[in-house]
Amino acid sequence: MSDCATTQTRFATATSRWKAITNNLVYVFYVPVWRKTWPLWVGAVALALANLFMFAFARAIGVFPQMGMWGAQIYNLVGVKVDAPFTAYPLTPQHLDMHSMINFGIILGVAMAALLAEEFKIRKEHWTGYAAAAAGGVLMGFGTVIMPPCNVGGFYTATMALSLSGPLAAIGLVPGAYVGGLLMKWQARRAVEALNFGALPAGTPAAKRESSVQPCVGAAVGVALLVIALVYAAQGMVKHCGLLLFGATFGVIFQRSRLCFTSAFREILISRDGTLMKWVLFSVAIGTVGFALLKATGYQPMHYVLPVGLHTVVGGFIFGIGMSLAGGCGIGILWRSAEGYMRAWVAVLTGMMTAGAWVLIYGKHVGEGWLYGKPHSLAEYGGWFGGSAIVFAFLAVFYLFILYVEAGKREKA
Amino acid sequence: MRKLDAIKINDNHYQVDMRGWVCPFPKYAIEGLVKKFDKGRLDLLVDCPSATEDVPKVAQAMGCTVPEVNQIGGGEWRIVIVK
Repeated sequence: MSDCATTQTRFATATSRWKAITNNLVYVFYVPVWRKTWPLWVGAVALALANLFMFAFARAIGVFPQMGMWGAQIYNLVGVKVDAPFTAYPLTPQHLDMHSMINFGIILGVAMAALLAEEFKIRKEHWTGYAAAAAGGVLMGFGTVIMPPCNVGGFYTATMALSLSGPLAAIGLVPGAYVGGLLMKWQARRAVEALNFGALPAGTPAAKRESSVQPCVGAAVGVALLVIALVYAAQGMVKHCGLLLFGATFGVIFQRSRLCFTSAFREILISRDGTLMKWVLFSVAIGTVGFALLKATGYQPMHYVLPVGLHTVVGGFIFGIGMSLAGGCGIGILWRSAEGYMRAWVAVLTGMMTAGAWVLIYGKHVGEGWLYGKPHSLAEYGGWFGGSAIVFAFLAVFYLFILYVEAGKREKA
Repeated sequence: MRKLDAIKINDNHYQVDMRGWVCPFPKYAIEGLVKKFDKGRLDLLVDCPSATEDVPKVAQAMGCTVPEVNQIGGGEWRIVIVK
């Protein structure tokens, strides 16, 4: 073989190998992660691990108290003096508030993931949608200060943090989400009833639009996220940097796995389908082991151990109705805002303005005064091991409840 | 009252546009639509990503086939349901 031919063969081999490498990278790392929806179990495990790591780093996930603080800030800006509803989240400029970093991270992470997957769209709403979102935001705003705090913080994190309030919040959230879901189901049924297939105008099918710049914009958002994180790191604000990146991780997990807590709570009774909630419970189970182990070493033993009483159930119920109407819980509306749902923008606004007004309305902060009970850790009843056992017993009872409800569907059919 | 935007494409082929209806509306509406609908093909346009999984599940449970779920634009999908 001549030298020239050998070189050509070598070149061809190198090209095809390079092609194989790129194909492999694309089909192993890009397509399944950024283009396809993750299986629910991946989302459930990733969520528990991310929450555990973030707790070990600084704090666990929860987003509404920060939003309440933002609301109070806006009141102060327009001259109404009011303190932030949660004493642990004092009035702080957003860019200096480490807790707010989680929320900003979620927004950026979701925007990046949605754009990479070409799922971003500015979604306008019918006025009834905005009205429902505004009402949902107000209900969630009240729910978050009464429960407290939100669905993910007050149920998901609180339960794995061995707070007695976690299981009690679920008792309010399930029927609350059901009531909100019934309203939506009624609206959908009315719209379908009004439709007459026999008398439809003729038309042409919607056309398919080719190629989109969304993935490029998504990559740019990812770069911007890293730059912002590096700026914080360079200022020595390591916690801010870390929580921003953790928030973005949560955003990506939620956007890609579609592990929607609102849907999990709502669909148990509405569609007699507990698939999502079973994975949420699985996620709580993983988290509980980690939180109990960390707390047993003396690390932040009272973190996310929240006031408990009748208000937990009532607040959960109010919050449950609100999240169904708004189309997402605290995290859910941040997530949908970043996907372009204008309905969620309205809910974020009314939610934060309602929670932010709590000290004006109630006269005291969350956790103080006649409304609230005392925080109780399940570790009070049998130590960290016994406390975890109680959480697992609760998860088992919740699981059996779901199976019982689902069995009713087969009876109906 | 909010109305559904729908057109007839040809005999036994309809398109219902639920873009702008958030999750879980498409999932709740499809049950009634399938019941109401006689026979043929129904294209449901949606712009909430979770509907691309929920709607086929409900339709298939009601005995329909779902031959296609296509992305037709950024954040928009067409779900083809055949009864």
